[in-house]
Amino acid sequence: MDADLLFERYRELQAYVGWTEADAARINAVADQVEPHLSQLVDDFYEEITRHPDARKVITGGQPQIERLKGTLIVWVRELMRGPYDRDHVAKRWRIGWRHVEIGLDQVYTNVALSRLRSGIVRVIQQYWRGPVSESIEMIESLHKLIDLDLAIIEDAYQCEHLKRQAQVERLAAVGHMAGGVAHELRQPLNVIRSSVYYLQHARNPTPEKTGEHLERIDRQVKLADGVITAMADFAKLPSPRTEPVNVSQCIMETLETIRLPDSIELNVDCPATALMQADASQLRIVLGNLIRNARDAMRDGGRLTIDVSALGEHVEITVSDTGGGIPPELLPRIMEPMFTTKARGIGLGLTISRAIVTKHGGHIRVHSEVGGGSTFTVVIPSAAAKPSDTGATQP
Amino acid sequence: MTLQDLNTHAVSTMRRILVVDDEPDIRANLTDILGDLGYEVDTAGNGNEALALVERKAYDVALIDLKMPGIDGLELYRRIKKIHSATVVIITTAYAGGDTARAAMAAGAWEIVSKPMDFNMLLPLIEGALTQPAIIIVDDDTDLCDNLWSILHDRRYRVGIAHDIDDAQALIEARDFSIALIDLKLPQGDGTQLLQLIKARQPDARAILISGHRAELDDAVRAATGPSPDAVCYKPIDIESLLTTVRDLTRA
Repeated sequence: MDADLLFERYRELQAYVGWTEADAARINAVADQVEPHLSQLVDDFYEEITRHPDARKVITGGQPQIERLKGTLIVWVRELMRGPYDRDHVAKRWRIGWRHVEIGLDQVYTNVALSRLRSGIVRVIQQYWRGPVSESIEMIESLHKLIDLDLAIIEDAYQCEHLKRQAQVERLAAVGHMAGGVAHELRQPLNVIRSSVYYLQHARNPTPEKTGEHLERIDRQVKLADGVITAMADFAKLPSPRTEPVNVSQCIMETLETIRLPDSIELNVDCPATALMQADASQLRIVLGNLIRNARDAMRDGGRLTIDVSALGEHVEITVSDTGGGIPPELLPRIMEPMFTTKARGIGLGLTISRAIVTKHGGHIRVHSEVGGGSTFTVVIPSAAAKPSDTGATQP
Repeated sequence: MTLQDLNTHAVSTMRRILVVDDEPDIRANLTDILGDLGYEVDTAGNGNEALALVERKAYDVALIDLKMPGIDGLELYRRIKKIHSATVVIITTAYAGGDTARAAMAAGAWEIVSKPMDFNMLLPLIEGALTQPAIIIVDDDTDLCDNLWSILHDRRYRVGIAHDIDDAQALIEARDFSIALIDLKLPQGDGTQLLQLIKARQPDARAILISGHRAELDDAVRAATGPSPDAVCYKPIDIESLLTTVRDLTRA
């Protein structure tokens, strides 16, 4: 994490606990008294740590490592007592939390062990305190604030790093899953290409027509393979939408022109001619295209495809309904996951991409489906009339 | 060509291959390649089409894509096995490995072939499967049939199953086979009748009669006026000795 940002955050936390220069002065004043007891305090701290099997197991280097760690901890307490509580101080605390993730030390142990160290320091100070009791109470309060601040930074670093690593693991799993799906989708066209090549090389008496047929097939399958790669590339770097007022009806018609619907599917479109949405037309065509193709594919034996648009104040709602077999309830939560598909052909990115696009527009997608009753997908997009200035591009 | 050859060829026809894949281009390509090699090729784009074909014709080999809409390749294989268990099923898949492929092997698929298919491997695999001896089992005990199917299939025999004389007749008329394992007691008659039929239709085929009663079997064999079995086998079947007998008879 950026050291300046981190220090800024520390300053915020200081303000939150009411930390002042007076607190710093009180603690610095007793630093010399604590100094001779550092090694005993640290020994006690590690005794606590090593009593817990889960905490002990992260110390893999045995006694030499413990000695090293004790040295580090002595420096930590010394810096705690003497300051200065500057950028460098905070960065060092951050690294402790980071290190705990690295070695797999649960934060629970940081908390209990620090609690022990805290009471140890208080005990030492009280033993040598010669001033008024009221001042000793103030001093101890200052110490608590300081240790809590340190702990907050360590915790923060721990959480931050922990989440980062978790996300990495999940990303890796997703990449593996995706690689498998892409492999399947590329091997299909390769299979056709390879078999056509085999035929052309080995056929006994291929007619010119046959040869032409196989060459065309190779060409067609190369295009299919290229389409898979394009879909992947689109998914990998979906550009932020460049939104402008878009006529919804026109966008739907343009999308329908690119999709072949069999005669067995009856198409109904009901859209107010003037409805405007604040959208990136090229991206919305991807969304509508995916939903319409899915609806078509859900109705192999024919049916009715209905596209309904209603402008509801700040939003435009576009519903795409089919009269196909519907989605089983157990599959519903998964349909927008990347690489999830029930189709024999397809990498399962259509709905994932669609949702990503709609979310970036500041809208959302809903689905309602009943087995035997067909499916309805509803896309909600900001209307252009309501928020002409909102580009939506800044939405997460 | 000898008379015996003629007799054999009266039953045997062109080798039939069924290709099941939802990709039309691959169906067309396999039809071209296998057709060019002299196989009779039928194709189906999904499981239901395939089952309709299998109900009408006995296929020697079926090449089935694992991932298809509707009935997937594995389920299709299970259903084909019930209709015509002697069909050698080769599962094709664009997935490198995976649980489904393993399940297909466990269910008795002959081989899993990955896509893109290597024809220098696939074609000898098909030809090799077709030269493996075919065995028919005729017994009304379905569990025994299933067990023998698995045991013989593991040793690379192609195994057809019939539970009564009618089923058995259909099998005998449809295809050449090397050995028939026949239960002496069948629902519509006794095994010696079937033995007679087999020897008449496929003189090259060997027959093993099976019975739970040693005396009964011996009596039946003695009493039978027609051809005698090439071997007999008593229940409970000693698998090792049955396998030895089968091996010896297929070599002879």
